[in-house]
Amino acid sequence: MPMGNTQPSVRPASAGRAGGAAVTPATHRSGTRPRRTRGGLGAERYAPYILVLPAVLIIVLLRLYPLILGVNFSFTGDGAQNGTAVGFGNYRELFADPLFQTALKNVGLLVLLLPVAVAIPGLLATFIYLRVPGHRFYRSVYFFPAVLSPVIVGAIFNLLLAFDGPLNAVLSSVGVDPIDWLGDPDIAMFMVVGVHIWATFGMALVVFLAGFATLDPALLDAARVDGASLRQVVWHVIVPALSRTIQFVFVTTMIGMLTSMFGLLYIMTSGGPEGSTYLPEFYIWKQQGQMNRPALASAASTILFMIMLVVGLLQIKLLERSGKED
Amino acid sequence: MSRLRLGRWLIAIPMSLLALATIYPLLFTANVAMKTRRDYILDRFGLTDALRWENISTAWTSVGMGRYFVNSLFVVTVSVFLLLLFGSMAGFALSQLRFRGSSALFLGCLAGLFIPFQVIMVPLARIMADTALIDTYPGLILVYVAQFLPFTVFLMTSYYKGIPPEIVDAARIDGSTVYGVYRRIMLPLGTPALLSVGILNALFCWNDVLMALVMMPSAEHRTLMIGVTSLRGQYSDNIPTFASGVLIAAIPVLLVYLFLQRQIADGVAAGSTKG
Repeated sequence: MPMGNTQPSVRPASAGRAGGAAVTPATHRSGTRPRRTRGGLGAERYAPYILVLPAVLIIVLLRLYPLILGVNFSFTGDGAQNGTAVGFGNYRELFADPLFQTALKNVGLLVLLLPVAVAIPGLLATFIYLRVPGHRFYRSVYFFPAVLSPVIVGAIFNLLLAFDGPLNAVLSSVGVDPIDWLGDPDIAMFMVVGVHIWATFGMALVVFLAGFATLDPALLDAARVDGASLRQVVWHVIVPALSRTIQFVFVTTMIGMLTSMFGLLYIMTSGGPEGSTYLPEFYIWKQQGQMNRPALASAASTILFMIMLVVGLLQIKLLERSGKED
Repeated sequence: MSRLRLGRWLIAIPMSLLALATIYPLLFTANVAMKTRRDYILDRFGLTDALRWENISTAWTSVGMGRYFVNSLFVVTVSVFLLLLFGSMAGFALSQLRFRGSSALFLGCLAGLFIPFQVIMVPLARIMADTALIDTYPGLILVYVAQFLPFTVFLMTSYYKGIPPEIVDAARIDGSTVYGVYRRIMLPLGTPALLSVGILNALFCWNDVLMALVMMPSAEHRTLMIGVTSLRGQYSDNIPTFASGVLIAAIPVLLVYLFLQRQIADGVAAGSTKG
């Protein structure tokens, strides 16, 4: 167990606390200068460790340790081969599985759509920062869907996008044939991603606005005095000044797309039609829970983790580069 | 100058349309929840002719949303309490106290931020099964606490870093123990951060689907969001009841948002600027 090295140093302290905690408060109340008992002193010395103990214990046991355990699982077999080493067998099976291939393809689609998902809140935040009439109202309305559960959002859009639902009713009233929004493999993934962007752009908006709050207004005034157009202001003043915020939004939006679309996928399409809306997280859940293939699921988890590492490392690279430019 | 002002008004038009697109789906759902089934089939968009609460009460009782609601409320309350307790304890120690290994422990907590649940889902489910915690409330609470603790520790640590160390020193000279400083100084001073982080954590836990789905397989332990997913199969031909179930799950979040929007946005902003 990875806990081995921290436990011994803390144990005696928690034993000392039982005595110390009971004694010290009493001495406090009675006198102005406290007399420290031996137990109190011990508890004092180890106090920092006792304070961090619950958090560290939980994070190590239920976050870091499972990560190692999961990588281990991914090299073992499922079912009859449970527990035996199979080398890269799961990974070979994974990359040969059309569903996982679709999942990876869809990750590629997310990467392509990422600039859109960042530009929309960025532009809106710019307008709000420039105090478009009603900016306070927009700010609070846009942020609202971001606090709703993906399941609620997905359920609402299930209703709106149903084949016999309201959107198609509107379309047919203007003479357009009904579209099977969530049932057509060529369209469904775009609908789910679209709904995800609709639901989360408010979050990025708030982050952008927090970035704008650190912007020196004198820069904008100077640009305006010089007669810069809005486009020039955005490109030459706002983008360079907010480069860190923009990078942060890029990374968090990508991570959000990789790890918080499960609810939408689950309720809107369940991976269908024809497996066209699989993402790695949905694949992991399906293999683990429905197909009873935990080792294969672990292999997919490891791949997902590597994708996220790449995203994270890319951010660090970008940060370093922008640091040099400064 | 006037050209710029006109431009602003022109931008306000698409922005208003977008605002409408942002709230309309929920208004539509609320409207449908008030309709009868017949009304909905005949006219999907028209305003309901009466405020009917029957659908809501059907969803609350016979669909079981009431029970799921109570389950969620319980799990979220306990999880948030533990998150704030452990998060503020660790945050105080890591920001204000000097001790051997503190930066390693902080980095360890931080590492947890980069491990999403999907990546450790399989081994975590196995650990929970081995310890007989799967399909129990303590099990789900523990999973929530583990999921959101890195973020909570991180934010509380950076918040407490802003408190001058002289305050702690003064209290120590006056004879207060470390625990006394935590309870009488750090907790009260941390109230704004605790409020902000607490609301965010409550939203995260309340809105979660995947963890509850994996950790709570049996129907009577369902949280409200799992209840919403179960509506899809059962009530897909009874849209008003379906919409009512969705509304029940959305209303608490709507209320929290209306009253505590500032704190939520501050929490998100704090997480971004300190990152």
